[in-house]
Amino acid sequence: MTDTLAPPAAVTPTGPVPPRRRSRPYRPGRPSLTARIVRTVLLLLGALVTLFPFYAMVVLSFKPTGPVTFPDSLLPWPFSTEAYDQVIGAKSVLRWMWNTVVYSVVSVVGVLLFASMAGYAFAKKRFPGKEAMFWSFLAMLMVPYHVTMIPTFIIIAELNGVDSYWGMIVPTLANAQAVFLMRQFIASLPDSLFEAARLDGCSEWRVYVSIVLPLIKPIMATLGVFVFLWHWNDFLWPLIVGQSLDMRTLTTGIASLQQENVALNMLLAGSVVAFVPIFMAYLIGQRYFTEGVSTTGIKG
Amino acid sequence: MVALPAGRTRRPRRPSAREAGTALLFVLPFLLLFIVFRFGPAIAGAVLGFTDYTIGGEAGFVGLDNFRRLVEDSTFWSALRVTVIFTAISVPLSMIASLAMAVLTRRMFRGVKLFRSIFFLPVVTSLVLAGVVFTWVFSEGGPWSQAMGALGLPAGSWLADSVLVVPALVLVSVWSRFGYGMLILLARMQDIPAELEEAALTDGASAWQRFRYVTLPQLRPALFFVAIIETTVSFQVFDTIYVMTGGGPVRSSYTLVYMLYDQGFKYFDLGYASAVGVALFVLTIIVALIQRLTLGREK
Repeated sequence: MTDTLAPPAAVTPTGPVPPRRRSRPYRPGRPSLTARIVRTVLLLLGALVTLFPFYAMVVLSFKPTGPVTFPDSLLPWPFSTEAYDQVIGAKSVLRWMWNTVVYSVVSVVGVLLFASMAGYAFAKKRFPGKEAMFWSFLAMLMVPYHVTMIPTFIIIAELNGVDSYWGMIVPTLANAQAVFLMRQFIASLPDSLFEAARLDGCSEWRVYVSIVLPLIKPIMATLGVFVFLWHWNDFLWPLIVGQSLDMRTLTTGIASLQQENVALNMLLAGSVVAFVPIFMAYLIGQRYFTEGVSTTGIKG
Repeated sequence: MVALPAGRTRRPRRPSAREAGTALLFVLPFLLLFIVFRFGPAIAGAVLGFTDYTIGGEAGFVGLDNFRRLVEDSTFWSALRVTVIFTAISVPLSMIASLAMAVLTRRMFRGVKLFRSIFFLPVVTSLVLAGVVFTWVFSEGGPWSQAMGALGLPAGSWLADSVLVVPALVLVSVWSRFGYGMLILLARMQDIPAELEEAALTDGASAWQRFRYVTLPQLRPALFFVAIIETTVSFQVFDTIYVMTGGGPVRSSYTLVYMLYDQGFKYFDLGYASAVGVALFVLTIIVALIQRLTLGREK
């Protein structure tokens, strides 16, 4: 997504899904045979169209360099790992992979830490200016990311943060949507949990570490998965901040290969390398992706 | 969705200075980040539009010059037109696809979860990767051009055609987005009270009538939500254009965000790029208001 910094822009304060009214879902009798056949055919067609680009990406990446024709090239042979050898050996793909891992993982940790701290205070504590602060966070979700991107870049450039990890990561930690979701979740926890610990003489930090953090694991998982996804796939911000060859991420690196007119099999080999981690994450944590969208409307 | 702070009614006393102090410490790290990297830049973004700032140079106040230049710049009008056309085709198509797939995967049957997972897969896929693959899909002699040729429609590379390039980019966008809307609509569909549809069924309503007069009205808020999100996403489309067309051929896929990138980071005219950003903001607000007035009105 182009707007890692601004996933907030996608969420309106009105919220995605109105309060749940869990009544018995409607379960009619089994649809007629014709209806089931039509449904299956349409779904298979949809799945075919959806999966075709992935199939093409994988198959064409395992081809020797040469002209690509359709449909012959979509057969799994001739098979060759030449493109992978080249793209991993001669190009900086592994370096870009490392950059992407750093960018994604550090951002996830940072966003979760700062957002959970702020979310806890907004949900369970009272302090002057709280409402004004919270509403200004929400109001900023309306401003398109691209409006703030240029001044943010200038700030980073003035601080000599261009082509550095911190310059790439730190601005993305100001994720107001994360604070909003954290606050929603923590507000739903009973106060008594925190009061008990406080009566036992725990410091506020202790309460946060040993009571709040374990309780918010579900929202941490959901949010963590999405923050990871946004950063892994982020493009425009890394494109302008990580300009040197060594500071590219997988997305900006592959785009740069493409602009150098590298052969298709190599481009696709690079794409497969970039896709496998997110695909694995999707296979393992699919529940968090789909439930995150369904229950919070968080933008994919 | 925005709940009142919990505990307010039970503890009406004012917070002690100590309590407020610790609370502020918890907010402080995020607050600083927010002020420096969101709030400040949002203000600065608007202000920069009135300057001739370039990287490393001084920012001189130039009044409305950038905006005057924008209004006279045919590139801007063409970018605005491309952005609006792209969004106007992309949002309805993507919503229709989302709705169709949500309806098809609504009931439980064997394999339904697999289908839902497949349809959501493009949403987690980077648009750069999608762009690389679809560049081949739409290439001369590629799958799309052959399929179109077989159907007697315009063959050849759609990406090289100044009219068909936008529809081609729309198709990529729909492919990558419909799974998101599908999940939102599915979540809402599960909440439609069974009594409503059962009542319609006993009244002898056909499947289409039940969909049209029971399901669809119930989905209205969710559809509105998806429309807003997809409009925002479409207005900001960039990655696929960067990879697939570079704004071409001859600026026929050159959008506002692409112009912002071009002016800011190719020509380093950050003042002018900020003016484009302000225009994008205004456009977003106008469209959000129109959507609220038409789609979002309460019954």
